[in-house]
Amino acid sequence: MMTLRTWEYLSGPSAWLFWPAIVTGVVVAGMCAWLSVIVVLKRLAFIGQGVSHAAFGGVGVAAMLGLFASTTATTSVSMGQFAVIAGFCLASALLIGKLSEKSGERATTDHADTAIGVILVGSMALGAVLLHVAQTRRMAAGVSWESVLFGQLLAVTWTDAAIAAGVTAVVSVALVVWRRPLMLTLFDRPVAEALGVRVKVMNLVLLALLAVATVSAMKLAGVVLATAMLTLPGAAALRWSRRMSAVMMLALVIGVMCVLGGVVLSFELDWPPGPAIVLVMVTVYFGARGTGARR
Amino acid sequence: MMQATATPAVSIRGVTLRYPGAEETALADVSLDVVPGEKLGILGPNGGGKSTLVKLVLGLLAPDAGSVRIFGASPREARREGIVGYVPQRVEAELGFPLSGRDVVTMAAGLRLGWWQRAGSVVKDRVDGALLTVNAMGFSEQPVGTLSGGQFQRIMIARAIVTQPKVLVLDEPTVGIDVAGQKQFAELIERLSRELGMTLLVVSHDLRTIASGCDRVACLSRTLHSHGAPEGLTPRVLAEVFRHDMASIFGDVHVDAHAAAGCSDPSHGHDHGQADAAPVQLRIEKKSAEDQR
Repeated sequence: MMTLRTWEYLSGPSAWLFWPAIVTGVVVAGMCAWLSVIVVLKRLAFIGQGVSHAAFGGVGVAAMLGLFASTTATTSVSMGQFAVIAGFCLASALLIGKLSEKSGERATTDHADTAIGVILVGSMALGAVLLHVAQTRRMAAGVSWESVLFGQLLAVTWTDAAIAAGVTAVVSVALVVWRRPLMLTLFDRPVAEALGVRVKVMNLVLLALLAVATVSAMKLAGVVLATAMLTLPGAAALRWSRRMSAVMMLALVIGVMCVLGGVVLSFELDWPPGPAIVLVMVTVYFGARGTGARR
Repeated sequence: MMQATATPAVSIRGVTLRYPGAEETALADVSLDVVPGEKLGILGPNGGGKSTLVKLVLGLLAPDAGSVRIFGASPREARREGIVGYVPQRVEAELGFPLSGRDVVTMAAGLRLGWWQRAGSVVKDRVDGALLTVNAMGFSEQPVGTLSGGQFQRIMIARAIVTQPKVLVLDEPTVGIDVAGQKQFAELIERLSRELGMTLLVVSHDLRTIASGCDRVACLSRTLHSHGAPEGLTPRVLAEVFRHDMASIFGDVHVDAHAAAGCSDPSHGHDHGQADAAPVQLRIEKKSAEDQR
């Protein structure tokens, strides 16, 4: 029976091992789904890619600071890891923004592409070097290359779940509080500026939200696949509706269902959960392409 | 010609601006008063400083020298108080967004609400009023990406007037609009001026746009070359502002050099006020009447 293993895992004596992962998956999926609508509409997928790969550099820095020295992390160490990696991602996002704007009065796709490419490879290389150094100094017992690159959903603790829930709450509140100026800035920046919206602040808010969401998604799907969570639910939802509110709700449902679907697949077929989630999302996206209206 | 009242709607005095790193000034010693309720056209070639002037009026740039006042207030204050409305060129909006025309207008109408407040019936009534004014009720529920150039422009004008500004700045409003749309645009700005008493600044490189609905025309090419009634736009003035290459400057308009050479007297009658009419004694042809999406 296909669903038996999932049921056994979640109701058996070791169920407490899995529930933090599932709770984290659901809250992070919801947050990323909302942001994914913005990412797709503003064509920020590549920036997301740059920021998520920058997390690898952040892991390297955190390892050098001794935050991955033990296989079990205390609450303060977990929060330290998150803060360092998120800070590194945010700094990378700001640097991408700065490098993109530097080349002229307005950022062009070419300039942004170059900036993202540079930050992406630079962070990956820095992360690889620092992780290697940390490993040779025996400071990286709590982290493996594989878990950073492809996620380690089932290693998620209740502390991680609490951090993810906190981040999701902050991101959701920010999206609700700034929904009007943020949406106007995204839709028509010159008019937003003319109407007194502080568009630079709005851009910073967006980059910060993307950075913390990326770090949260990284825990589930790793730096390589985190972008999927920040792209695919929105891309699929936009195929099925042309009303913003409906798109947001659809993306939320798609994101959460794909994470749950991926977790079930990983239980049943013994697949790694991060890639399983991403494969479900990709399948749903192609399904939406096949059945939804063309944008 | 209209005379300035005590407080001009827009007062530009000795404005000079040079962008950092640029060799030439974008604007040099520009002075201009716009009286309340006036429709002023600002005509100029690309790169002539029109967009810079718009940004100065909107308070998005500060001049190196001189001053800009909107009803006596600084542009920044005017922007904060919602005195100035702005209709940008269409190309700058994200048309792939899943938003209807009504959503776009509501976004501006609800911008000053607190985050905890919902856009209630007051906002809805104002949005309805703006959509009715621009005659856009029929297509206001359609996604913006499916609207024609003329329809989308009316949505953008509704968005600009929903905050009830006193001054409305329209940047290249007829780019991508077909001939019928241009005619409707001329009627619309006339109505905004007459019924709502708005002061209108219409910025364009297109002679036809400016001449068909404005009381006065300011020719801008780094400096202000003339500002008078459209009738004063003689070929000589245009040649002075736009140098020799008028056809390329006007883009979609063809200027007949022979007609220009033979018509230096502006007193001859012409059919001012219609979109298809030649506003000065030049033969003007619209090259493309396609409604671009």
